[in-house]
Amino acid sequence: MDTIHTDIELASVSKSYPLGRSRVPIFEDLTLHIPTGDFLAIMGPSGSGKSTILNLIGGIDQADAGTISIGGTALGRMGERALTRWRARNIGFVFQFYNLMPRLSAAENVELPLLLTPLSARERRERVLTILDIVGLSDRARHLPSELSGGQQQRIGIARAVASDPRILLCDEPTGDLDRKSANEILDLLQMLNRELGKTIVMVTHDDSATRVARRTLLLDKGRFVARQEMPACA
Amino acid sequence: MRLTPSMLLRQNLTRNLTRSVLMILCIGTAFFLFGLLSSFRAGFEGSEARADRLVVSSKVGGNETLPLAYLQDLKAMPGVAAVTHITRLRAYRSADPRDILGANAVDPESYARVYADTYRFTPALMQALADNRTGVLVGRSLAEREGWKTGDRISLTSFVHPNAQGMSWGFSVAGIFDGAEPTVDTNFLLLRSDYFNTALVRGKDQVNLFGILPAPGTDPDALIQRIDQRFANSSAQTRTQSETAYMGAFLEQFADISTIVQLVSAVAFATILLITANTMIFAIRERTREIGVLKVLGFAGPAVMGLVLAETLVLFLLGLALGLGATAAVLPLLGGALSSIVPELYLTPRAVASAVVIAAVLALLTAAGPALKALRLPVASALKQR
Repeated sequence: MDTIHTDIELASVSKSYPLGRSRVPIFEDLTLHIPTGDFLAIMGPSGSGKSTILNLIGGIDQADAGTISIGGTALGRMGERALTRWRARNIGFVFQFYNLMPRLSAAENVELPLLLTPLSARERRERVLTILDIVGLSDRARHLPSELSGGQQQRIGIARAVASDPRILLCDEPTGDLDRKSANEILDLLQMLNRELGKTIVMVTHDDSATRVARRTLLLDKGRFVARQEMPACA
Repeated sequence: MRLTPSMLLRQNLTRNLTRSVLMILCIGTAFFLFGLLSSFRAGFEGSEARADRLVVSSKVGGNETLPLAYLQDLKAMPGVAAVTHITRLRAYRSADPRDILGANAVDPESYARVYADTYRFTPALMQALADNRTGVLVGRSLAEREGWKTGDRISLTSFVHPNAQGMSWGFSVAGIFDGAEPTVDTNFLLLRSDYFNTALVRGKDQVNLFGILPAPGTDPDALIQRIDQRFANSSAQTRTQSETAYMGAFLEQFADISTIVQLVSAVAFATILLITANTMIFAIRERTREIGVLKVLGFAGPAVMGLVLAETLVLFLLGLALGLGATAAVLPLLGGALSSIVPELYLTPRAVASAVVIAAVLALLTAAGPALKALRLPVASALKQR
């Protein structure tokens, strides 16, 4: 189990988006603590700022005010290049629409982030095979994304997210484009990654079933967390 | 299963194969045009022209003659290592005025000395010509074109230089000479000036040109001035130029080939630049989300920009290879058909080097906009693109 401290802290964070000459506030003075090893599901209506929180934690968007720190490292103080390097090492992203490279095979998609690591080609290959085995798609390694079902593509997306062994997984509606059965399989996979591999997971979702696997659920509405639900350690 | 950065490049290039192929064809067409025009220019100018070798001609014009007696003055001039003289026969293979053929009356010994590094005159060839007053040394290209072999009898017509028998001149092929390099024009023949001068019924002891090889360390410009000043007050004033300048001026009598090449090439490349830049902008725009994903995965902006630049560079290099390859394939066919107009058509190393530089510059110009856009693309907004 991973014991390295990767607590996520959002302290008095504000974010707005430009709309013409004015700015539309998404949330103001938002504070959130996500301890290492947590599996947090953030739910809420569209436009409530759920994905924005993920983007801020992942360092692909910047807050207007407040501080975001992960494992004691303040993201706002990092330059673009350092932030990119840090993200490659510490964060795995899972997207609603998978965002796989269409002309790369499943294995090549998983290997993609490993190009940025010092691993040799052989080590990369071994790592990819291991991860494909974990997500149950060893037999689909050579398939293109277009030859896989939605659920399988999302598994590849998750495999890619964990390929470089990041501490934190940020999942943006990972089941939003899947049927119920596939969605449950993805949720089970994420739960396994959290429970067995110790990944800290922050998941934005509209899927009520997410509460089944998450340790905590927060409801975000109009820029405020309005409800909290603590789940038992093993659902 | 072994992923490499080049696979990402290939992925992007083959994403829309038709578009990539059309772009390569488009770029290839421009370089084909460039290669063809450059070959014409090189063919007209002759790659053998040297900047340090001098040509002395009449100041009045290229068709005017100079007295052969200048030869002794030129030989005696300081800074002159070797000097030879050339008289153009202005000969035709048949009565057809389009069937013109390069034939120069020269003093073989001095000619071989001045042009020693341009043509290969072996001792055997020189001896064969020395042994045969009506012999001619035929350049390899001309011999192949006309199907001539050593020992063949040939007949030429010159309307400018009649002999006692009229306009017809009979020669025998004493040997066939080669250029020092494959690109050297050998589409002409050399006859002995002593025989030619004796056989002439008028215009004896007149030459069209003197070729001068300056002594090592001689300032060519100073020598040019000395020569022209020496004959400034004579009835036949001279114009001395470097060989390259002389060839350039000679060509400009017909057309400014160099300017035509530059203009047509510039228009072709400007068109290609606009088409390719436009296509690349669209290609990058439709990949906005993927670029965002790459950045999320940890690929830095410069790396993503490098991918775009490399992709464009590969397109241009493939187009370049296609264009110049097509040029090389077509030149032998064109060379045969146009041999009476352009002595030799060939792609010079300089033209190929220029094409490579142009391809690299155009690729950079084309990719600059899309690559910078990829570099600056905010990840969060890129991921929102569908």
